[in-house]
Amino acid sequence: MQRYESDVPLISFQHVAYAYPASQAGQESVPVLRGVDLHIGQGEYVILLGHNGSGKSTLARHCNALLLPDSGDVLVGGQNTRDVRALREIREQVGMIFQNPDSQIIATIVEDDVAWSLIMRGLPAKQVRVRVEEMMEAVGITHLRKLPPHKLSGGQRQRVAIAGVLALRPRCIIADEATSMLDPLSRQEINQLLHQLHEVYGLTIIQVTHLLEEAALAQRVIVMEQGRVLLDDTPTKIFADLPRLRALNLLIPEPLELAERLRAAGMPLDPEAITLESIARALNS
Amino acid sequence: MSDTIIHTRKLSYSYKNASQVKVALRDVSLEIERGSCVAIIGVTGSGKSTLMQHFNGLLKPDAGEVWVDGMRVGARGVDMRQLRRRVGMLFQFPESQLFASTIFADVAFGPQRMGYAHREVRTKVMTALELVGLPFHLYARRSPFELSGGQKRRIALAGVLAMSPQVLILDEPTVGLDAQGRDELYGCLQRIRQEQGGTVILVSHDMAEVASLANRLFVLHQGSLVMQGTPQEVFSRSEELRSWGLAAPPLHELLALLRKQGVPVPPEVFTLDEVYSWFYEYSCLSRQI
Repeated sequence: MQRYESDVPLISFQHVAYAYPASQAGQESVPVLRGVDLHIGQGEYVILLGHNGSGKSTLARHCNALLLPDSGDVLVGGQNTRDVRALREIREQVGMIFQNPDSQIIATIVEDDVAWSLIMRGLPAKQVRVRVEEMMEAVGITHLRKLPPHKLSGGQRQRVAIAGVLALRPRCIIADEATSMLDPLSRQEINQLLHQLHEVYGLTIIQVTHLLEEAALAQRVIVMEQGRVLLDDTPTKIFADLPRLRALNLLIPEPLELAERLRAAGMPLDPEAITLESIARALNS
Repeated sequence: MSDTIIHTRKLSYSYKNASQVKVALRDVSLEIERGSCVAIIGVTGSGKSTLMQHFNGLLKPDAGEVWVDGMRVGARGVDMRQLRRRVGMLFQFPESQLFASTIFADVAFGPQRMGYAHREVRTKVMTALELVGLPFHLYARRSPFELSGGQKRRIALAGVLAMSPQVLILDEPTVGLDAQGRDELYGCLQRIRQEQGGTVILVSHDMAEVASLANRLFVLHQGSLVMQGTPQEVFSRSEELRSWGLAAPPLHELLALLRKQGVPVPPEVFTLDEVYSWFYEYSCLSRQI
């Protein structure tokens, strides 16, 4: 298992502030990040949690220079995202998938789409073929290779998008609300895939979500509020204070709510129980 | 017989182009009671949207019948404009359809196009904004674009409500909304049903939402209606749901897991409150033993 070395963070935010520019003259620009300091190490699985408008997606978009800070710096693998010469390398190291996979699927059949970024980069055909095979295998879409994307389900299309990003061999994948348009089973599948990539390839995963169910499975949860990092801890610690999460306008899953109420009524449930399986175990013991 | 507002009989529909025919609905027969809230569930591509589009005449059946409030959809002589007045439809991410510079102008667009006099339009806009919890005197003159995501969505809903539909169809109404935005929208739906006696048809992937809002569920799988019943009936059959790519809400997944492990949770225990009370008593009992 790959563990991150704390002295060399993969991504570091230093006093980052950002405001979206005013859309019309006379309007004020709206600050979205207000002084974020944050370090994410190689091999971490991090959840960025927050309600609409808390700044979590804006933060994620700073991780691969899609946005540049107004003040402060973002370093990826030690390189500043402001450095134009490092841009290509940064984008290759930190890949991103979005809410709607259609926004990054380009080619007319699956295998061409996975190959796209590699061909653009000018890799020799033989190497492209090897990598495409490998990536389709890694995300489980080899049997769909000749199909056009519109024949696939939402979950399958999201897999294609992930394979396309993986092909560049990034060190980190950012999933920005990548499961929110999917039906429940496809959502579970994509979450499992991200965890598998994390475990098998030691990839750093940064998952942006407003769902606590997804946060329960991570190693580290960062809660954003009004453009600041409000909480940064393990899921167990963060979930120990549900009233606070509720006050932050986050939706509490019913199983967690049930466990909280039973504990309050004096039932000695394991406080570490935050996933469905562990709550079931706690209730049954 | 109960008062049915929509019913279909052996409804079938296929999408066709030059080279292919794709069957989207097969022999769907269902009844929706006036004033109820029903949900249509199924994975992407199961036919949910196709079915909905028959309810306001955007599509006409290839075979079978669709009746809405006594009118047969697609039959000769049926005024489709009448039909669409009765059935309002809120699409996914409706806030992207907002266009006017004031909230009043946006919400008034529908009733104006329907030819209502100025005073009537104003009354309709007022009622609609009241229903969505954004009072006329505070919001009518403002721009819809300075509101939060949840508020924008409610403005879009008001635009549909201003046409006084008897049936309201909502496609994934809470996707992308945070907890507060959801609660506000649920509040609106409650008011629409209580104050206007409206019928609500919900299409959603969020099973917890469906369980708490709908009285009756229809499950579609590859264009066929494979199951219907109360949320309690449907979500107790989690194995079958899984075979159609669906899952019960998290709380009911938890109960299914516990039942499998031998905890005797009775099938009628359904809401969070009921589950809580049952476990509380169960743990007291097992401690006494």
